[in-house]
Amino acid sequence: MKKWCLLLLGLLPVTAWAQETTSLRVVQVTAQRRLTDTGLQKSSLDSTVLHDHIASSLADILTRHSTLFIKSYGRATESTAEFRGTSPSHTQVTWNGMRINSPMLGTVDFSTIPSYFIDQATLYHGASSMHLTGGGLGGAVELNSLVPNMPGHSLQYVQGIGSYNTYDQFLQFSHTGPKWSSNTRLVYSTSKNDFSYINHDKKVDVRDEQGNIVHSYHPKERNQSGYFTDIHALQDIFYNDGAGNRMGLSVWYAHHKRGLPFLSVDYKDDTDFTNEQGQNTLRSVLNWTHTKSQWKSTVRGGYAYQDIAYDYHTTRQGIKNDITQSQSHTHNGYVQAEADYLPHEKWMLNAKAEAYYNKVRSHEKSPFQQHENYNKGRMEYHGSLQARWRPVSPLSLAAIVREEIYGKKWIPVMPALFADCILYAPWKLVAKASIARNYRYPSMNDLYFKPGGNPDLEPEKGFTYDAGLEWDIRNKAFQLKGSFSAFDSYIKDWILWTPNTKGYWQPSNVKKVHNYGTEIMLEAVTKISKHTRASLTANYAFTPSINQGKPSNDNDASYGKQLCYVPKHSANISAWLEWKTWALQYKWIHYSERFTTTSNESDYITGHLKPYFMSDMAIEKAFHWKRLDASVKAVVNNLLDTDYVTVLSRPMAGRNFEIFIQLRPLWKQKRQAF
Amino acid sequence: MYIKYLLLTLLSALYACNGVDEGNVEEEFQHTGKGVFILNEGNYNSGNSTLSYYSPESKTVENGIFLRANDRKLGDTGQSMTLHNGTLYIAMENSGIVWGIDAETFRVKGQLTASQTSHMINPRFVHIVNREKAYISDLYAPYITVFNPTTFQSIGSIHTGQPSANGYSSTENMVQHGHRVFTNCWSYSNRILAIDTRTDEICDSLTLGSWQPKSMVVDARGKLWVLTDGGYYTGDESFGDNIPHLYRIDANTLEIEQEQALDADDANVQIATNPDKTVLYIVNNDIYRMQITDEHLPVRPFICAPTDSKGNRHKLYAIGVHPQNGEIYVADAVDYSQSGTVYRYSADGKPIDQFRTGINPNGFAFK
Repeated sequence: MKKWCLLLLGLLPVTAWAQETTSLRVVQVTAQRRLTDTGLQKSSLDSTVLHDHIASSLADILTRHSTLFIKSYGRATESTAEFRGTSPSHTQVTWNGMRINSPMLGTVDFSTIPSYFIDQATLYHGASSMHLTGGGLGGAVELNSLVPNMPGHSLQYVQGIGSYNTYDQFLQFSHTGPKWSSNTRLVYSTSKNDFSYINHDKKVDVRDEQGNIVHSYHPKERNQSGYFTDIHALQDIFYNDGAGNRMGLSVWYAHHKRGLPFLSVDYKDDTDFTNEQGQNTLRSVLNWTHTKSQWKSTVRGGYAYQDIAYDYHTTRQGIKNDITQSQSHTHNGYVQAEADYLPHEKWMLNAKAEAYYNKVRSHEKSPFQQHENYNKGRMEYHGSLQARWRPVSPLSLAAIVREEIYGKKWIPVMPALFADCILYAPWKLVAKASIARNYRYPSMNDLYFKPGGNPDLEPEKGFTYDAGLEWDIRNKAFQLKGSFSAFDSYIKDWILWTPNTKGYWQPSNVKKVHNYGTEIMLEAVTKISKHTRASLTANYAFTPSINQGKPSNDNDASYGKQLCYVPKHSANISAWLEWKTWALQYKWIHYSERFTTTSNESDYITGHLKPYFMSDMAIEKAFHWKRLDASVKAVVNNLLDTDYVTVLSRPMAGRNFEIFIQLRPLWKQKRQAF
Repeated sequence: MYIKYLLLTLLSALYACNGVDEGNVEEEFQHTGKGVFILNEGNYNSGNSTLSYYSPESKTVENGIFLRANDRKLGDTGQSMTLHNGTLYIAMENSGIVWGIDAETFRVKGQLTASQTSHMINPRFVHIVNREKAYISDLYAPYITVFNPTTFQSIGSIHTGQPSANGYSSTENMVQHGHRVFTNCWSYSNRILAIDTRTDEICDSLTLGSWQPKSMVVDARGKLWVLTDGGYYTGDESFGDNIPHLYRIDANTLEIEQEQALDADDANVQIATNPDKTVLYIVNNDIYRMQITDEHLPVRPFICAPTDSKGNRHKLYAIGVHPQNGEIYVADAVDYSQSGTVYRYSADGKPIDQFRTGINPNGFAFK
């Protein structure tokens, strides 16, 4: 019985007690390879990385610590994540079990997720996303809240003060008892975000009295309309009766008021214009898990609400001119039931059924559209069966079958197969492989948005297979873990919005894309001396993402070309050096050239974005007093003042600074390890 | 000490790798002969509009000439061009600027920007009334901006007076007949306004049965030809019927003399005239030609949209007719996200040349 329970514990999403942490930081060592992980290409971000500093959104963390490509044009602007050269809507995201992709857009804005609100993030690459959900043609991201690991009361306050009148505040109060735990987190961030930059897209001519140009220069301008106010409140409550029942409730409210920055080629003055987006989001999830003998059953329910208002207007000489106004209200209800059964120590079975109800009311006022845009509800049903089998000790096999229904349409059955084999146990060297057919059904905007929505859209079809190696080599003072994977995938009927000749955009199933490449992740940790530790993580992705769709006509040069804005090469490195109460951190990012035209015309003047390298650096000093732990951290972003853009005509901030002061009063609990 | 050197070396190496934009050298151009400017609209909110220049004699094209000549970007969403007295006026809609460049050197001569001193928000078209006065239509402002085309100073505005449909008050094309300039109200509208150039006031107006008048010309007989795109029809919520209409209107009385529905299709519609303004050319998937005395558009197109070996038709996005020799230039936007192609035909419809330009070529100006 004890053995079964231990195996079941390995299934649980909240894995805190299934792990044995060594003295080396960020290293989690599992006693035996979990059957649930059979064949999965996944990477994890733990709280050390996620809670780096309070100004970071999850988009910032993924940019610096994963192989995902984050398309963003600055802090507090929409930031989407792309796995393996796919599109943002091909990245499925769950939060405490509930899928949080916008039912309207199919995407998630990672800039609206403060990294301090996430305790554990797991990235499922390619076919492995089927383990979590369907529709992740590129992959899936699983975000979870965990039970606070500090027994008793804990209070933490972080104050950040940075460039461009940026202020970040974070307050956390947690209580962990034998049965009940509570964790309350608040974030309040504001910024003018009006950084200066040399605008290479404009030039000022200085003329003499005769009108002749005597001098020209690229003006120094400020980021217009980039201000933001973000407020987040998260309450997690956990209950564990110690007899197999666990409950959790998570409620997260967020409010965003964000100016939408002007283009670098915009000659209007932001003092004349309001170009702003307001957003309120409420997400709540209640779950109950019961573990008994060979069974584990979980029931979850959730509700999410979001309203988004976009307002672009100008008031000239007392007269208001509307340019665009849009509002949307989204209600999302969710129930899920899941059961795990271990008929034998070599077998693990899982069945899951979930239902979502999405209700969207969209109102639009633009030169192309007026009145209520659409007001639709849609039921979505997902079901999956999973079986895992370890026929002999080094070999594990897994199969997943998923079925999804949206509205009245059934998606074809989605199968996936996984296998892994331990090649060399002392190094935990594991070979893995997987293959899957996956589908993503259209978002509600794809179907119903007016004008342009296309109710005849078909689901996107994905077929992917990958293989790779994973290892974890360590001795008393050193650890080297990592993974290498190669993947190959095809997406047909890719939904693409293209401009209509009447001026609005329309989606259609036009594209066929071949994605292939490699992903490499490395992590090294070493203990140099009694008081000195160093660690280094590195990620590299090679992601050709090739259009193989039918050419529009014989002038169409896009066939065989890399998709717009998808870099072929991306890499990042993070290095830590810790000495006594000091810590030094260096982060480096690289993206290769990205094309802005489907034909990849590098000689076209605005046809590509230059590759760039980016460096950040931080230094932190911790203080330990009798009743207080404290730290001061200074961060330099864009250390080398790199002049770069990630999206055409969207300037990015140069070198900027932020200082964080963290206070953690101590009551009776033990001091948290530095 | 070693750590210090190591750090400095690392920083130096990284700095050396940085992709800093050094800017571009301003190229010298001197195109004194005949030529054709092609405005490439680019993609909305991308700032990738460009300007091309084609020499018909040498059959060569220069792309991106505005940036190359001026070391600055043209802007976001190039809407239209007007060539007058050696100056090319370019309305950059979403950048809120009208450029004036020298038609031979392509150098900027002046610009007018959206500011509190004018009502201009998103400029659409420029119409030159005389050496000292020009009009700018606007997508959002209920005003026509009046400016001096020589000094680029804003000198006034004309309130269009229409309580615009749904809060929008767009004005588009402008064509002149006598002392009257006609402008069509495209966004959410079915109105034609007449401006008296002597008083800079709206002096007359007309409401059409079809929505969203998009393109206009005045013919040799003083008739105003208006082409609508028909608005859009999406079932329970609609704003028009998707069916383009062609109107012939007496420019003096604003009476509708002729109206006909065109094929409804997912096509951009535009109208142009031959040099003596006796023939109309209409783009509606294919290119149709009709005499101004004809009662109906012919059934068969004058020039069929090019079709490739696999049967894919090219998407015709714009038309321009050379005001001297009547040659016809037609733009193919391909997939709207790559360089477009321009086809050049003789006045009698024979292919002469084709060349690549920028993204979404949408207009021509002939020098």
